[in-house]
Parts: sequence; structure tokens; C-alpha cells
Amino acid sequence: MSSVLFLNLAWQISTLALVALGLAIVFGKLQIMNMAHGEFVMIGAYAPVITSSMGLPGWLQVPMCLLTVALVAFALERTIIRHLYGRMFDSLLATWGIAILLREAVELIFGRGYQSVSPPIGGTLSILGADYPAYRIVVIIGIIVGFAALYWWNTRSKVATRIKAMVGNPDLAEAIGINTARLSAGAFIFGCCTAGLAGLILAPTIRIEPMMGLDYLIRSFFALVVGGLGNLEGLGIGAGIIAGTQSVLGAVANQTYGYLAVLTLSILFLWLKPDGIRSSSR
Amino acid sequence: MLKSTTKLLAGAATVLALGTVSAAADIKIGVLVPDSGPAGLFGPSTRNSATLAAETINASGGINGEQIELVFADVGVPPAEAAQAALRLWKGEGAQAFVGMHDSAVREALIGRFNGQIPYVYTPVYEGNSCATGLYVTGETPSQQLAPVIPHLTESEGVSKWYLIGHDYNWPRDTNALAKTYIADAGGEVVGEEYVPFTVSEFDSSLQRIKESGADAVLITLVGGGSVGFNVSFAGFGLDEQAIRLGTLIEENTLAGIGADNADRLYSSSGYFASIESEAAASFAADFSAAFGADAPALNGLGQSAYEGLMLLAALANKAGSLDVDAMDAAAEGTTWSTPRGDNTLTGRHMAQTIYLADGSGGAFNIVASFGNVASSEACAN
Repeated sequence: MSSVLFLNLAWQISTLALVALGLAIVFGKLQIMNMAHGEFVMIGAYAPVITSSMGLPGWLQVPMCLLTVALVAFALERTIIRHLYGRMFDSLLATWGIAILLREAVELIFGRGYQSVSPPIGGTLSILGADYPAYRIVVIIGIIVGFAALYWWNTRSKVATRIKAMVGNPDLAEAIGINTARLSAGAFIFGCCTAGLAGLILAPTIRIEPMMGLDYLIRSFFALVVGGLGNLEGLGIGAGIIAGTQSVLGAVANQTYGYLAVLTLSILFLWLKPDGIRSSSR
Repeated sequence: MLKSTTKLLAGAATVLALGTVSAAADIKIGVLVPDSGPAGLFGPSTRNSATLAAETINASGGINGEQIELVFADVGVPPAEAAQAALRLWKGEGAQAFVGMHDSAVREALIGRFNGQIPYVYTPVYEGNSCATGLYVTGETPSQQLAPVIPHLTESEGVSKWYLIGHDYNWPRDTNALAKTYIADAGGEVVGEEYVPFTVSEFDSSLQRIKESGADAVLITLVGGGSVGFNVSFAGFGLDEQAIRLGTLIEENTLAGIGADNADRLYSSSGYFASIESEAAASFAADFSAAFGADAPALNGLGQSAYEGLMLLAALANKAGSLDVDAMDAAAEGTTWSTPRGDNTLTGRHMAQTIYLADGSGGAFNIVASFGNVASSEACAN
């Protein structure tokens, strides 16, 4: 395997895992099939556009991203999402409507045209004998560290235990004093914020326009179908299989076969193994 | 039953009579623009350019002495629906001619629906070789965009190894088939050719192939968002130092998405750029921003093509003395007219025009060469 292919694989898998994380949290923990997931990625990607149009310094991109995404997620959770916990099909329809609303809102504010964002780190690094974009290398390392921290937090934090209790038996959790309404809202907003952060991180490497979210929703969904819901290992496995198949087949054959294989895999999993490789811990 | 049918007919007759009354006052021209769908980005600039053309035509006496009025329809929809929308303008509102800025599938549907009974000007960049009674084309075809430009870049940039990449449909394939002959004639070679599906949004493996091929020039026939994604990653991998890029559908919006950091040595070949420095182009751009404000959607070759289409329609109808298809077909060959693009001639129902080569380095198009009166080799026998 050439080193560039290896690095491309690392990039594709890590970024897909990051993008899919929010969808996995919201679906796995709250039973909300969030069709507006891609739109949160999109809003995150617009954060640098907002800061530069307001003339703010670059370091405010992260707070701006978290603030805008969290505000939108909070407003939606209070008005719509909270009525839909556990109602998967209803949530699918409602969030699809929300997705259209968010696309149109962003189009009204920023227009339909493409935006561009400069990477904070330019140039290429020579690594494993290949010239690879420095920004991508930093992002890959950052995502690995981030997931390690999340895994560690997930195994020891009390909040994670409470979420587990709430998912397992909402009534009992409520009875022992867990504020499930607040916990659900927090989990939803957290999931959306990870999507927004993914958008912000990817922004210098992709096209930015109001319709961009759809790509990310579909790929994230495939990753979850294959990997299974409910835990971080499943997410990693799913992202690895989906992004890996596309990258490797795209490199040795062509992109058409890569995409065809991804679609075939997803259909086979939905049909034969609907719970994915690592199904929920529930 | 009979009664209600009579009522209906009477109502229809009234509507038709009213339609005729208002059509007698003006000539109505149907303008087909993509308000929705993937090309919806170009809807506003297309409408604005058409509106500006109508003002210009009316200010100089209209068509055969009659003032024109534009009626719009959205054709950013599937071909069958677009043909229905055009039919409503034609039969319902009494449009006497059409100008359309839309994709080829819609064009073929419209040709079938119009059946040579009404003049129809097709304006965007396209693959060429579409010929029908009453159809006139202002858009650039691949031969116009490439025949002068490939030898020029071979000379000025010293490139010879071309990699061809495009989306997987007929426009890129037709473009590349022609490009290969121009590259060979200029003494170059094709080191790779690749077509990607529209659903692909990452190009890492393609970029790796371009790198390994040793290409020093890349011909890009990716469209829209795919072109933005490809070009951003291309520069991210530092390939802009290895190879120049030439695109035949990279306009101002696409360049804005690619960004100043990623546009070094990115060339675009087109009949129009907002930055053409002729007097006619500058005054068109000034009129555009005066009419629609400085914040209006940016001028670009696709949107501006609607202006070209209406100006051709007016020149042709004035030459023929009517909007009758037979008279216009008889008068068509050799019609000349001037627009922001330069001096144009209709040959083989296609528009021989000035082709501009622009360098996008630094995030703005800078015209580096222009080639006058380039005729299309994908025009009609007549």
C-alpha cells in the first residue's frame, strides 16, 4: 500500500467517523433519526464565513461555530424534537422538514453561491515518503486524540451512565431523580455540536454551499448502518468499512466502482444484518 | 354535462381573446431560466441579464418596431415539466419566441415540443451539434473553447502532458474527444482520462493518479460543486505547482468557491467574463450593477448568456422582418451583431464569437488572451 493511499484512508475514515458521531449519538441515545444532521455540518462550515464577514479574528471561529450550532439545536429541541423522543419515524419526517428549513434560511442569509475558507495551516508536509497537506495531518491526529478522550470519558463519566440509564428505562431513570428532559436536550445539543465542529474542521477542504449537508448525511447513515448503533467501536468500524471501501476501490479501480460498492454494502447490511456489526448495547 | 362544457369553452374563449388583446400591444418573449434545481445558482443573474437585454432592445426601437415584454418560466425541473412550463408561456400567455438557459435534456424536450413552430434561442455553454428548425445557439461549444486555447497554453506555459478529468456524462466526454485532437496537433500527449460520478465529493484517488501520471496540465470538465471540491483538494495537495489547470465551465461563482488560496495557475476559457475590459463589456457591467445593485448575484458567463440570446433574437428578427420561423431560418446565416462579448456572427445556427482565456490566480479572473471570431466546428450544416 502506498503511503499516500494509507494517509488518504486515515483522512477519510477519521473525518467520516467525526461527521457520523453526532448522528450516532442522537439516533443511538435518543431514537431521533436526525435527517437535519448534514445541515448542522453545513452551519458549522459557515462559521468561518460568519466571522470573516463580521471582521472577527480567526480564533473566534470555534466559539462562533459552537454558539450558532448550539443555539439552533437548542431552539429546535425545545420546540420540536422534545416531543419526538423515541418516535423514530415521526422524527425522520420532522427533521427532514427542519433540514429544508435550515437550508433555505442559510440561503436567505448567505445566498446560494459557493463560499471559500482558507486553511489555518497551509502547505504540505513530507511524511512516510509522501507530500501530504499539513492541515489534513493535524486534523487526523486531532480526531484520534478527540475520540480517545471521548472513549475515556464515556467509560467513566457519571453523565454517560445516566444517559445509559435513561436509554434503558426512562421511567425508572426519572424515578431515581435523573432529569431526563434536561439530559436528552443536552445529548441532542452535544450531538449537533459535534456535527458543527466537523463542518468547521472540514470547511477548508470542501465546497461550502447551502446544499452541502446531504452528502454528509448519506455517508454518515451508511457508516451507522454497517457499524451498528450504540457504541463508539461500531461507529469506528462502520466509518472504516465505508470510507475504506470507497478510498481503496477508488484508487485501484475507479470512483464509480467505489461508490457502487458502498451502496451494495449498505443494502446488504440493511437486508441481512440490520443491526450492523456492533449492535446497540441496549 | 353539455352546459358545463359550453361554459368552459366560453371561458376559454374569453381567456384567449384577452390574451390576444394584450399580445397585440407587445411582443412577448418567453425566457426560460433555472430558478430551482442544481443550476438554480444561475437563476438570478440569468433573469437580470435578460431584463437588461429587454431594456436595451426596447430603447433601440424593439423588434420590428414593436416593444418586447419578457415572460419567465422556471426550467430547473425535469425535462417533461420544463416543456409544460414553456407550453404555458407559448399557448397560455402568447409568447412568440423563446430564449432558454438550461441543460441539454430540457433543450431536447423543448425541441420536440416546439417542433420548429416558434423561434428558440439556446444560450449556455454546451456540447454542440444540436440542430433543429427554428433553433439558434449562442453558447460556446468545446471546439470554440479549446481549439485556440490549447495551442496557446502549450506555447505560453510550455505544457505537453494533459490529464483529462470530468463528470460522467456527454458534455465532458464530447469535450475530451475533441481536446485529444487539439492536444495531439499541438504536439502534446494525453497521460490520463477519468470520469467520475456526480455523487462523488472527494477526489483524493484521482489526485493521486494525476500526481503519478506526471501531468503538467489538467483539463477540467467537472461541473459546479464537484469542480469546487476537486480544485480545493488539488491545491491542498500542492499539485498547483506540478500542473496548470484549464476549465471550460469555471465561472465567477465556481472560482469564489475554490477560493483565492487554491486558484494559482487555474485557467478558464469562455465567451464571457465579468472582467472583460472592452468598452461594451464595461458599460454592460456598469448598467448591471446600476440596475440591480452592487450586492446582486455576480455576473458570469451562464447568466450573461441570456443577454446574448435576446440580442441575437432581436438582430435576427429585425433582419428577417418578422418572428416567423421560415423567414428567420432564411435570414439566419451570416447575421452579425455586437454585444458585451464582442462582434458575433451566426454561422451554422451557432454563434462565432470572441473567446477569452482568463487566469484565476489570486481568486479573480484576469483576461490573459482573447481570440476573435472563433467559429464552432460543432455547428449545423444549415
